Amino acid sequence: MKLPPYPMIEAAAGAPLDIHRATVLPEWIDWNGHMNVGFYVVAFDKATDTLCNQFGVGWEYTREKIGMTFVLEAHVTYDREVREGDPLRITTQLLDHDSKRVHYIHAMYHATEGYLAATNELMLMNIDYATRRSAPWPAWAMPRIEQMAEAHKHLPKPRQAGRIIGIKRK
Amino acid sequence: MSAILPYEMPALVTTAPLGLHRSTVLPEWVDWNGHMNLAFYVTAFDQASGAFMRNMGLGRRYVDGKHGMTFVLETHVTYDREMKGGAPMRFTTQLLDRDAKRVHLFHEMYHADEGYLAATNETIVMNIDYASRRSAPWPQQAAERLEQVWTAHQHLPRPAKAGRVMGLPKKLSS
Repeated sequence: MKLPPYPMIEAAAGAPLDIHRATVLPEWIDWNGHMNVGFYVVAFDKATDTLCNQFGVGWEYTREKIGMTFVLEAHVTYDREVREGDPLRITTQLLDHDSKRVHYIHAMYHATEGYLAATNELMLMNIDYATRRSAPWPAWAMPRIEQMAEAHKHLPKPRQAGRIIGIKRK
Repeated sequence: MSAILPYEMPALVTTAPLGLHRSTVLPEWVDWNGHMNLAFYVTAFDQASGAFMRNMGLGRRYVDGKHGMTFVLETHVTYDREMKGGAPMRFTTQLLDRDAKRVHLFHEMYHADEGYLAATNETIVMNIDYASRRSAPWPQQAAERLEQVWTAHQHLPRPAKAGRVMGLPKKLSS
């Protein structure tokens, strides 16, 4: 299939991708009075949906039983707390890609105060719906991925990308 | 200067690795792909970190008594196999490192019946003073318990999936 059986949204300009907005929901708050670690990833996963829509592999891709996207690996840095009702701005930078995968990093900012709240580096793989195994990106997605990779290739690599977890000693 | 907690400590478990936590994949954790969504693996692992902290004497009484809290600074998950709604989970936890304020933990999640490895989670958790909401040394009892677990865990082999740097395999990358 050259084109998906649903409309492709227009490709967003600018680098990094900066179109995803959200609000911290009451049910995302834990007993420490801030957004729980798991719900940062819920919020980031919705930004991944926004990214997948750019490539024509969003929820309609699964609804039409063509394919799915599975995360293989995720790394989160929790940089600052956010509270119920806080507005979020999430940007996305492509770091690498191949015929089946994209490697990218999201940055979550408090949308009005501007501070960095968290980052999420991810490896996402395309999955064939029927076999539930990895498969090449569909024909309509690859040019969109390459177009974004081209737009992002001169962005500096964020310091949170490629981190090894450990206790740093002075 | 570390605080002394005013409540009774639970019996300390020092098995290597620890196997303190079991859980079940909740229906609301399943996404449109028909499996546990990636975020709820983090939630499930966070509950395993909670079990580790209860073993340190830092459970609900620690927060409700306004003594302190524990915050996750950083977390790395490998998604090794899918888990469906209702699947039973068994967790193991290895203490990889610790200092006066932090622990470096490595959790493994297994399907409790079928036995396969579903995911791993490497995480750094920091002790937080309740009033200032800033980092603080572990309370004295917790620090002592941490050293006992460290004694039991320090010679365990380092898990293969610990310390990973994310990236595409070089020969496959386009």
